[in-house]
Amino acid sequence: MRLIARQVEQRLPSTPTSEPRREPQGRDVGNVELKGLHAYYGSNHAVRGVSLGFDSGGATAIIGPSGCGKSTMVRCINRMHEEVAGARAEGEVLLDGLDLYNPAIDVVAVRRTVGMVFQRPNPFPTMSVIGNVTAGLRLTGAGKGEIEDRGREALVGAGLWDEVKDRLEAPGTGLSGGQQQRLCIARALAVEPEVLLMDEPCSALDPVATLRIEELIGELKERVTIVIVTHNMQQAARVADTTVFMLDGQLVEIGPTDKLFTNPDDERTEQYVTGKFG
Amino acid sequence: MAETRSQYQAELEQLEASALGGLDLVSAALSRTLEAIEHQDVELAQQVVADDDRIDGRYLEVHQSLIALLATQSPVATDLRLISALLHVLKNVERMGDQCVNVCKMIPLSGNEPPSDEKMVKMILAMGSQARALIGQAKRAFEGRDVELARDLVRQDDVVDDLNRDCFRLALEIGDDADRREWAMTMLLAARAIERIGDNAVDIGEQVAFVVTGLFREFEDASHPEATPGI
Repeated sequence: MRLIARQVEQRLPSTPTSEPRREPQGRDVGNVELKGLHAYYGSNHAVRGVSLGFDSGGATAIIGPSGCGKSTMVRCINRMHEEVAGARAEGEVLLDGLDLYNPAIDVVAVRRTVGMVFQRPNPFPTMSVIGNVTAGLRLTGAGKGEIEDRGREALVGAGLWDEVKDRLEAPGTGLSGGQQQRLCIARALAVEPEVLLMDEPCSALDPVATLRIEELIGELKERVTIVIVTHNMQQAARVADTTVFMLDGQLVEIGPTDKLFTNPDDERTEQYVTGKFG
Repeated sequence: MAETRSQYQAELEQLEASALGGLDLVSAALSRTLEAIEHQDVELAQQVVADDDRIDGRYLEVHQSLIALLATQSPVATDLRLISALLHVLKNVERMGDQCVNVCKMIPLSGNEPPSDEKMVKMILAMGSQARALIGQAKRAFEGRDVELARDLVRQDDVVDDLNRDCFRLALEIGDDADRREWAMTMLLAARAIERIGDNAVDIGEQVAFVVTGLFREFEDASHPEATPGI
């Protein structure tokens, strides 16, 4: 919010459309709200008028069958969706009240504030462990000391410090799959995002590495809004405070995770979570 | 969307049928228990005791399979509620079988030709007959996911409770003969066991409501009768 708000102030000093800036207070930042979001790939209408909120201080899981639009919806939050040729989005994506699709918004700043972790770990292949973590920081013009401090903090935050502190200069790709994924999480954390989007972050990991990431989500959600797309419903049940069920590009049900997995309101949710279709 | 998990669904349905089938075993055990009371048939009573192993075996078999389903299939939503409810049902079935055993073990105590009271015997037989009807009603309510039929179990169980109180009054008035008093006390214990069978049937009805609504609430809360929802 701070970074993006600064961008708006710099580029739209008197814009009437930007809402009054709210200074971050405690952890009440990183509130995401979607209002009537539509997303398209050419003529394919992938997300159909979704309105919902992701509150700070919690983890929200998005579940739904393949092709239901869950990844597309999440990729709209940090404007990754528009990187696909022919893709476009309509509606509003608000971060603490600020419209991320405001034409004056710097997309790079959006992606720094709304970090993303992908299905497969993707450390920069030519960079060391610490180089991977601090890559984004070096673009911010921070000093060397600050970069090192924040890189270390990010590794600690990602639960990776103890495992890599003696090989910070080794190639990032030399780590195990689970460690590489946590390295990517550390890389996202290093630029102090307010929201962390995770698109199937454990699908390429073994069960132990998966549980480590899930524990990490539990720790991170206190300071970063977590939105996780997962096909693994048990994972959603384990890590998320709130779960969203999507079908055919539409929001079917959103609610507390324990409610959704024990007594969902919508029959379609019931059918899906019990595995009667998929 | 393709239909999935048909094997798992079939297994769950089969386990439900097996668990509820336990109620048929209990109903048969209760029938023979009542017959043993009526005719002071010690051999039949001993057979009921021996056959309780079938009910216990059903409990163990279905319980183990349900635990395996929990471990391997990660059921959620209605499936999870159903499995939770079936575990409760199994426990109630096992307890009802034990109550029949408790009654049957008392029959030798009362002697082959006890100084019985015909009115009290009839009352206990009426209690048993009503309790057996409750067992059948609980099974139908579960099979049909019929909450109203389940709630009606409370009303039906009131009949059992009233008869139990009547038995108590009869026992108080049984007279001064020591043998008759001992027999009456034994029959009171039998009546109490049958009364508990009625309560177990009501408990199963509460599980029906849980499966259907997702909310567990006692139909009657003895410790907070004022909070009992309308029936």
